[in-house]
Amino acid sequence: MDQRMTAGYAPTAPAARMENHGPTMASVALRTGQDLLARAGSMVAYEGYVQYESNPSAVGRAVAGRLTGESVPLMRCHGDGQLYLADYGAHVLCLPLNGQNVSVNATNVLAFDAHLEWGVQRVKGIAKFAGQGLFNLGISGDGWVAITSRGTPVVVDCGRSGGETYVDPDALVAWSTGLEVRGKRSFKASSLIGRGSGEAYQLGFSGQGFVIVQPSEDSTERLSGAQN
Amino acid sequence: MVTQFKRGQKARLSDLTLGTDLYVGVRIAGPGMVFDISCFGLDAAEQLSDDRYFVFYNQPASPEGSLQLLGAQAGDTESFRVTLDRVPEAIDRLAFTATIDGEGTMSQAAPGYLRIVAGGEEVARYSFDGSEFSSERALMIGDFYRKDGWRFAAVGQGFDGGLAALLRHFGGEVEEDEPEPEPLGAAPGFAPPGFAPPGGQPPAPPTFAPPGGAAPPPSPAAPAAPQPPMPAPSAAPVAPPAPPAPHVQPPVQPPGQPPQPPPLSAGQPSGPPPFGQQPPPGPGQAQLPPIPRGTGDLVGVLDKYRAADAGERWSLQNPQLVRADLGLDGQPVMARQGAMVLYEGDVEFGFKGGGFKRRMVAGATGEGFPSLMRCTGNGRVYLAEDATRLFPVELQGDAICVSSQHVLAFDESLSYDVRRIDGHGLPGGSLFALQFSGHGTLVLTTHGEPLVLPVTAMTFADANALVAWSSGAQVLVANQVRLRRHAYPGDTGESTQLQFRGAPGNFVIVQPYEI
Repeated sequence: MDQRMTAGYAPTAPAARMENHGPTMASVALRTGQDLLARAGSMVAYEGYVQYESNPSAVGRAVAGRLTGESVPLMRCHGDGQLYLADYGAHVLCLPLNGQNVSVNATNVLAFDAHLEWGVQRVKGIAKFAGQGLFNLGISGDGWVAITSRGTPVVVDCGRSGGETYVDPDALVAWSTGLEVRGKRSFKASSLIGRGSGEAYQLGFSGQGFVIVQPSEDSTERLSGAQN
Repeated sequence: MVTQFKRGQKARLSDLTLGTDLYVGVRIAGPGMVFDISCFGLDAAEQLSDDRYFVFYNQPASPEGSLQLLGAQAGDTESFRVTLDRVPEAIDRLAFTATIDGEGTMSQAAPGYLRIVAGGEEVARYSFDGSEFSSERALMIGDFYRKDGWRFAAVGQGFDGGLAALLRHFGGEVEEDEPEPEPLGAAPGFAPPGFAPPGGQPPAPPTFAPPGGAAPPPSPAAPAAPQPPMPAPSAAPVAPPAPPAPHVQPPVQPPGQPPQPPPLSAGQPSGPPPFGQQPPPGPGQAQLPPIPRGTGDLVGVLDKYRAADAGERWSLQNPQLVRADLGLDGQPVMARQGAMVLYEGDVEFGFKGGGFKRRMVAGATGEGFPSLMRCTGNGRVYLAEDATRLFPVELQGDAICVSSQHVLAFDESLSYDVRRIDGHGLPGGSLFALQFSGHGTLVLTTHGEPLVLPVTAMTFADANALVAWSSGAQVLVANQVRLRRHAYPGDTGESTQLQFRGAPGNFVIVQPYEI
């Protein structure tokens, strides 16, 4: 076989803890003592000596959203080697955090450094409207986070035009936690008559920061069990 | 296949590999000798016109990261990552050199090599031996240079004098007020280059002034400024640069490096060490090279995806997301319900039914007609649907028919009507299309990259893959009833197609996806 045909897809020497291998795969360099928490089942390949601990009890505090029964199982990856992660062809973004805080929709988390501070946040405002929980992982510290997006994401700066920015909760991927969040019902009550749930609820963001949205309302997980 | 190079041999890199992301490893060693391996990014006149492209132990990466020092790797004394297609145009030649730090001459060096690895596979190797040299103290090993694309030359030329002399040779300037071999002597005091400061200012190389010569020596206060809280910064860097002594003392920490002992949170008494600190490897485990913390910051990563600041009424933010700016002329936009992912400013959404007449055309239930919402106000609406590719079409008085599930949004100024095409074999018995006409923009969704096919005498399309067609084309349902002996249940056998006929200039849009 002509090796040059496939050479363009070979891995490159790692230059950072997390890198993109193409738009839809994350390549993570693992070293002893620098563990990684990754979405269970997201590993597509690995090199070297890597071990996986599925949903250890310490992780269980997390994402088991007891209120809705939904959960994002995480696994702890440790060892020395190179780990490749993907999530059904979704776009992958590797974000280096230097002390910043981000809040990532639980279904859009692919992996993050285990030494980062993290916890489950329940988004205020939206739950009481929609009767469905929106669970986020708040992640902060100094390290890397990989998030997924169905389609190419767009980053929107808030506070640019002075007004609030409103996001469809189903398209929301992540936001910087400095922003103030509140739920909003944008349709007039009369316009809601005779139709199912549409663009009825949004999250309003105000303050300085960014919001990452995906061009898809991939909400099957979160909407299962909802009214319609 | 490894191409073995001899001294003086040159080759086109594209003959060796098609990759442009290369790993360059250099092995050179000698009894009791320490080597510094550097890469000079030279201009067309083979001068170091930009000292940020002198990649060495004090400056492990060029500004845009196309040249990176990776440190010692398996078998290699020093290694680089070179991303050739990111090297700026002004850089014409990348010269890899080795210099002796301390005692010794090149003649004492053991056999060594420079190898090029692309895509995990070694493609070229230039081997050299100390016996080829005499009393030289530096060696120009090999060059990448531009000549109708990048080429590689195995140079293998010795050079009298150390790193400072080599730097002068390339037009760099060594600071006058320092004893010559100073940088080399200071080297061990620095953190290994692998722990490069992330994206920060490159640690101001104290060895030479900018090549302009006229520029003053780097202000002593400058390197201290971007530093995070530094443990006990000595007064030395602040002192005037006149006495050579302060320069001998490198700063305790290169600027930009994360603070050394991070406060461990109380809940994690034995938390893993942060990046930049290699934990002690367990017994029996292979020692892997440390990972650099990585370059770039959050803002830099996100900039790639940042929404454009200003734009036209309709602007594609990426292939899957379109933004409508309602404030530009105040005209409302009609969009498929649920297509809004984000909006800024004061936008109101109203429900818009199909209307009685249209419902009659589309069937009593309104099936096949998309539920639309009317976006009004003064703001910007971001629209997308299931990460499908978007295809804006601007109508200038002409008309287009769109398969109803492929309409994402359109200007309210466009008039539209339902057309129904009946035919046996069509999914659901009939195909609903919306015919748009007037002046304005219409955004279609397609799964994958669409095909725009001119209508000829014999143009057929699968009804399941059809997105839109120009309304001048006539649509015929072409049934080909075929009774197959081995037909399996549910086999459609592609027996129903739509035939398009029309004058030249008509077109059909098809997607590579059959619903």
